[in-house]
Amino acid sequence: MNRPQTILLTDDEAHIRKFIGLVLRQFDNPRILEASDGAQAVALYREHQPDLVLLDVNMPNLDGVEALAQIRALDENAVVIMLTSLANRQTVEECLNLGAADYIRKDTPRDEMAARFAQVITECFGEEEATA
Amino acid sequence: MPYKELRILVMNPSSEPSTPSLAGRRVLIVDDDRLNVRILSSILQPEGYDLRAVHSGEEALTAYEEFKPDLVLLDVIMPGISGFETCRTLRDRHGALLAPVIFITAKSESDDVVEGLAAGGVDYLPKPFKGREALARLRTHLHNRLLAEQQRQLVSQLSTANAAKNKLLGMVAHDLRNPLASICGLADFLGDGTVGTLTPDQLDLVRTIRETSQSMLSMVNELLDLSVVESGELKTHPVSRQIAEILNKSVYLNNINAARKGSRIEIEGLDGETELLIDADKIKQVVDNLLSNAIKFSPPGSVIRVSIESDGDRYSVLVHDQGPGIPENERHKLFKDFSQTSVRPTAGEKSTGLGLAICKRIMESHGGTISAENAPGGGGLFRITLPLPRLAA
Repeated sequence: MNRPQTILLTDDEAHIRKFIGLVLRQFDNPRILEASDGAQAVALYREHQPDLVLLDVNMPNLDGVEALAQIRALDENAVVIMLTSLANRQTVEECLNLGAADYIRKDTPRDEMAARFAQVITECFGEEEATA
Repeated sequence: MPYKELRILVMNPSSEPSTPSLAGRRVLIVDDDRLNVRILSSILQPEGYDLRAVHSGEEALTAYEEFKPDLVLLDVIMPGISGFETCRTLRDRHGALLAPVIFITAKSESDDVVEGLAAGGVDYLPKPFKGREALARLRTHLHNRLLAEQQRQLVSQLSTANAAKNKLLGMVAHDLRNPLASICGLADFLGDGTVGTLTPDQLDLVRTIRETSQSMLSMVNELLDLSVVESGELKTHPVSRQIAEILNKSVYLNNINAARKGSRIEIEGLDGETELLIDADKIKQVVDNLLSNAIKFSPPGSVIRVSIESDGDRYSVLVHDQGPGIPENERHKLFKDFSQTSVRPTAGEKSTGLGLAICKRIMESHGGTISAENAPGGGGLFRITLPLPRLAA
């Protein structure tokens, strides 16, 4: 497998899910599962074992850091990218320690965001060229 | 969520300081001679002051804490600790906040007057008392005290208001940023046909949405930066980083915008080795700012040149644009908050006048500098300079 076929996209704001969903489309049109809070994300992960998980940090019910911990407890190989608002160094560090593959700010312009996703996908899913 | 917090942040308008009435101000009389106390009381009573009398320095020290007088009338010679001693103790305890102390002295003792002033007194009242003179002196000092109090209050209100403003600015900017970034990004997708082809007219509208939201986004980002800088929370986390990596990234991303105007950015003289002690995000922000300005103020189809100068102590990055440059008499405005020069962007781009002010703060926090000049062959030339780390011998 060189590309994530199923991606779990978690953010409590619909406009963010829409925008990032479109960015992700460029990677061979993967199946995208959407969750609007951490608890939903964990439930969806359990049910579908997606190849890649995007997790917002600040969410109601279960925040991103908690959700990350639970998902990594379910599957220690889970590939998770954190979506952050303002690069909060402490949270970011905590997430990386908990096994997040990378983090990206949600207000990143789409070309830069796509480049960043491509990088993680190349690292985690094989060497095949992963450009948008 | 935000609205409730916003309401709390809005300051209560405070009442204007008006011409103060001194009635009700508290005066502490300290004298072991009860006749003196009675005379002073009868002079002061008609003014409506709140009077309290004690008969020794020791009592005065206790009474000061309870009564919190606005003025103290203090006899010099008393059994127990003297008036001077009492005054020095009060001054040590209360410093600049001490209420004015007026010494009660016999008329001829000019040495007493000098010592009294040295001990922290503000004035003296000669015995025997003259009613009008005593009242005039008291009024003046009570009035000064009141003004000083009002000033302290005002300063504290203003600094609270300023902190609230910064917080408000930060919150508003923060809450606006992600939605604006999404609007901008979604317009990008609409415009490039990802979700279906648009007619030229539709495309034109989408492009307007994109450009407008993009310029709003830049303004919001700058406001947010300003609130961080203003509230003294600009924190840099310098680590040793390859400067070339940051410059290349910034040039690559800004070239995407430059291409929309038919311009391009070229970089020369980079080496892949130089490492500087910098906060990479913040320095990239400065470089981004210089490059986006260079694109903004150069005519379409320009070439913006980025070059490097290094002399072993300092490392400079130069950005040379093809704009009109900055008139000599406006150059001092460049790095100030909200200031704009008469030079306008060449394609209707927006500017808050904050970008360079923030860059200056970032460079200063790195021990570096930022400056602008007009290049000899035309165009503006911006230079940022950073200290090179000392090489281990």
